[in-house]
Amino acid sequence: MATEAAPMDEKAKRMRDLLSSFYAPDPSISTSNSSISASFDNINSTSFDADQYMDLMIKKSNLEVLLQRHVQMAAEIKNLDTDLQMLVYENYNKFISATDTIKRMKSNIFGMEGNMDQLLQKIMSVQSRSDGVNTSLFEKREHIEKLHRTRNLLRKVQFIYDLPARLQKCIKSEAYGDAVRFYTGAMPILKVYGDTSFQDCRRASEEAIEIIIKNLQTKLFSDSESIQARAEAAVLLKQLDVPVDSLKAKLLEKLEQSLDGLQIKPEEASKLVEHDDSSNDTESNDQHPAKIHEDAVRGFSEAMRAYREIFPDSEERLFKLARALTAMHFENMELYIRKRVSAADFLGIFRIIWEDVVLMDEVLPEAALSDLSAEAAQVTLKQFVARTFSHLQQDISDTLLKFDINQKEAVEGEVLKVILEASQKAVLQGTTNIFQDFRQLLDENAGIFIKMRDLISGWIQKGFQDFFRSLEAQFLVLSGKTSSSNDIEGKSSDKIHAGLILVLAQLSVFIEQKVIPRVTEEIAASFSGGNSQAFENGPAFIPGELCRVFHAASEKLLQHYIDTRTQKVSVLLRKRFKTPNWVKHKEPREVHMYVDMFLHELEEVGKEVKQVLPQGTFRKHKRTDSNGSNTTTSSRSNTLHSDKMTRSNSQRARSQLFETHLAKLFKQKVEIFTKVEFTQESVVTTTVKLCLKSLQEYVRLQTFNRSGFQQIQLDIQFLKAPLKETVEDEAAIDFLLDEVIVAASERCLDVIPLEPPILDKLIQAKLAKSKEHNNNNTVSS
Amino acid sequence: MSITNTKTSICFSSSSSLPESVRLAQVTMQGGSSGIGYGLKYQSRCISDVKADTDYTSFLTGTLSLKEENEVHLLRLSSGGSELICEGLFSHPNEIWDLASCPFDQRIFSTVFSTGESFGAAIWQIPELYGQLNSPQLERVASLDAHVGKINCVLWWPSGRCDKLISIDEQNIFLWSLDCSKKSAEVLSKDSAGMLHSLSGGAWDPHDVNAVAATGESSVQFWDLRTMKKVNSIEHAHVRGVDYNPKREHILVTAEDESGIHVWDLRKAKVPVQELPGHTHWTWAVRCNPEYDGLILSAGTDSVVNLWYASATSSDDKTSESPVESTRQRVNPLLNSYTDYEDSVYGLAWSSREPWVFASLSYDGRVIIESVKPFLPRI
Repeated sequence: MATEAAPMDEKAKRMRDLLSSFYAPDPSISTSNSSISASFDNINSTSFDADQYMDLMIKKSNLEVLLQRHVQMAAEIKNLDTDLQMLVYENYNKFISATDTIKRMKSNIFGMEGNMDQLLQKIMSVQSRSDGVNTSLFEKREHIEKLHRTRNLLRKVQFIYDLPARLQKCIKSEAYGDAVRFYTGAMPILKVYGDTSFQDCRRASEEAIEIIIKNLQTKLFSDSESIQARAEAAVLLKQLDVPVDSLKAKLLEKLEQSLDGLQIKPEEASKLVEHDDSSNDTESNDQHPAKIHEDAVRGFSEAMRAYREIFPDSEERLFKLARALTAMHFENMELYIRKRVSAADFLGIFRIIWEDVVLMDEVLPEAALSDLSAEAAQVTLKQFVARTFSHLQQDISDTLLKFDINQKEAVEGEVLKVILEASQKAVLQGTTNIFQDFRQLLDENAGIFIKMRDLISGWIQKGFQDFFRSLEAQFLVLSGKTSSSNDIEGKSSDKIHAGLILVLAQLSVFIEQKVIPRVTEEIAASFSGGNSQAFENGPAFIPGELCRVFHAASEKLLQHYIDTRTQKVSVLLRKRFKTPNWVKHKEPREVHMYVDMFLHELEEVGKEVKQVLPQGTFRKHKRTDSNGSNTTTSSRSNTLHSDKMTRSNSQRARSQLFETHLAKLFKQKVEIFTKVEFTQESVVTTTVKLCLKSLQEYVRLQTFNRSGFQQIQLDIQFLKAPLKETVEDEAAIDFLLDEVIVAASERCLDVIPLEPPILDKLIQAKLAKSKEHNNNNTVSS
Repeated sequence: MSITNTKTSICFSSSSSLPESVRLAQVTMQGGSSGIGYGLKYQSRCISDVKADTDYTSFLTGTLSLKEENEVHLLRLSSGGSELICEGLFSHPNEIWDLASCPFDQRIFSTVFSTGESFGAAIWQIPELYGQLNSPQLERVASLDAHVGKINCVLWWPSGRCDKLISIDEQNIFLWSLDCSKKSAEVLSKDSAGMLHSLSGGAWDPHDVNAVAATGESSVQFWDLRTMKKVNSIEHAHVRGVDYNPKREHILVTAEDESGIHVWDLRKAKVPVQELPGHTHWTWAVRCNPEYDGLILSAGTDSVVNLWYASATSSDDKTSESPVESTRQRVNPLLNSYTDYEDSVYGLAWSSREPWVFASLSYDGRVIIESVKPFLPRI
């Protein structure tokens, strides 16, 4: 009923629901199916409660509706009754028909057993007949089989008797493959009966095989044969149980021997490269070393290929060989670049090696030669870069020191200038060359280089960074500022010429201002690739830091130069003030000679400075207006003007210090220790200032009598004119000279200055004397 | 520094008739510096920490005037640390070239003085009732009068109560035994450095009381006091000042004319352990802090006092590194520059009671007390 597809009216639906609820094993399923909501008013639900339903009806509806409902319900009940009756009848009918069918089946089954027995009998008879046929044919078949076996045996015997002849035939036609096949086929028989019936046969065939083996061996070793033929020969030999290992060893030995020939010896390396560029013209020329090398390598790789095909099972040895060759190449290369090598040469060799590697790699891709060589190449390249830089550094220091040796012999003249220019050129030229070289490296298109381009840029940047850093360190060592750790060098640094320090200082400035910016530009232009790579061990090229380093170095060196110069003067002054007993000084007769020496030193400084440093813009009277940098320290003039000094002792005595203090307050400040600049004037001025300050300090340590004071006064007075000539900052010099006088007067037991006329007279006498001295000198020379 | 700034900071003790104990110092410096100033009447070179005074931070200083009456000032830092009070003012017969306070008796000190023509050295005692006297005289305990040449300095036994003294003149070194009660001093032993080494100063090793360093023209020399013989030397020219590191054995700091400050390890005395740039002109004096290791103070003739921190890598563990590299790697060792001076600074002393306080004395007679407390955290 459920399969009925016809549209169902209300009645049919209910009918079906009822039936399904009747048949369904679980009533809950049917209820959930039939009623969407199991509310009270659903009559069909299982939980229907008639009383409740009644209550609800009464409450909800009026009489009319109830009546209507009553009629409707009575009708429905009647309908349901009839439906139920129908159903019972139908089911009963079905039972009756089923009983009928079972009865019919029972009657049909009776006749079947007899038929079955008949069938069994027939099959039995068929079997006995076939057995009969089989036994009758058995004898004949046996006979046939025997005959066949005999025939086979005969054929074999025939084959063995024919074997020597056949082998000979094969040798003639060089069909060694067949020969070997025949021989190995006959082998088992020959082994068993070789000593009895087939003795002759065996001997003959063994002789033939011997020949074959010999032939095969020669074939294997002859390079003229095709590889395939050789490989076949090897296979055949192996089939013949000839020991192949010795052969293998022999072949390998041959290969190894050829390795030696393939080495690029450092001595020959340059030769290899020499003609590299002109190879197009001399292609026909067999003498070309690069070409020869290439052929040799090609031959080698062919041999390897052959070997590999012949002995496919022993590749390992080959790999080892190829690796050894590559390693050797790179080792030689390292040796080669230990000397100075231009990038072009380097690249030439590199290219050759790479070609070799590519050739070999074709033959032995499994040997991972390209990886190996890429690694080795990285190492070599890195070394090459490092070496290039160290060479440059060597060059620079050579230039610096080369001239220094000459210095002592040659005329003082312009030596410093020459050194400076030469070294500047060396630095510039050196960096330019390095860039050219490295650009070649980058432009190179050989396989590994492309991969390493980033790395190379990185190395170059790092190389420059390290180079400049070590250059700066070397400058400091050269200058003797920092003594290097070993004592020997430390001692030699004592003799360093002051001029060299000045040159180094100026060179540092040059590097800071010219070279580093240029290098930065170049790197930005061509070698920026490496930046993307993170350098764990430290950043690559940082121009800012280098500039700072060199700036600091230049200042340090300049300061060092001034220090060494002032140190000399200081020693001079120390001697001057230590030796005499100032308290018992005699009346001044002339200007003391230390003044000459002092001026001479200054003159020397002036000369050196003029050669090396640029001329500064002339600045007169540097006073408080100058830069307020922290390094400038100041001192205030406590000048006592000469009129003050001439006052009577007693009057001045009490108020002297008070006056100096007051004077300090009102006197404009004069800066003594200003920052040194890289100009001739600044350096000279600073030197003079420092020397005068030292002079003042030495004076303060002594006690003078009147004459002692007058001597100082005289010396200072004499110094005034020449110092002012040489020095830019007159005010400071005036101030410092005054300070010396003041210091002397403070340390004097009895201050009575020399009368100006006497002072003048003594100075004139000194001038005249020195003039005369000069004249004498010029005349004598 | 502007002129007005300086004006306020200068104070004269111009009249000796004032009651000494109330003479106050000017306190403020407007240039961002916290220094406390005090003015001496005349020029002066030396200042010393009064080590034996445990109640106050005090300093002794003396003037250097050839023609005037010289004075010794006993200065005390007020408990708030904001004022420098003159506790006592004593007249001293001659100009004072060196002054050192006795480490065990705050009333005793030594001076080296000059009459202009000759030098002398003496031990003095501050009179007990000096507060009531107008211009009290110092009591002379003993004269160290075995010297002939120019005397450079007198050194007290580095710490504790001991009656030993050392005096150094240009050629000789003397070891004295002092008896305060008998008011006498006698020479225990002496040694000559030789004519060529004109000595200029020295220091007593606080770690090894038998060792004394003396600075000479071309080297620093070391004596063993037991044998009174020279045992060692550092060949290094133009050393002006020398001081032992009180916190670390074998470490010596020297100040030189041109080449700045060097730190030496006496066990490897060939090459300095560290090099500090020093001053624009000569570095005159150098002092190691008694409490904070590596804190070094230097005074120079460029009118500046510099505070350095020489980091502790100068110890034993650092042997492989060369000094060049290590100084390079280090940060700037200069902690601060005190520039409020008008003249060369010769006198320099740390306070042992408050080790972050130091006194400096410039030639124009100005004492300036500074505190380095702001820089201590950087160590």
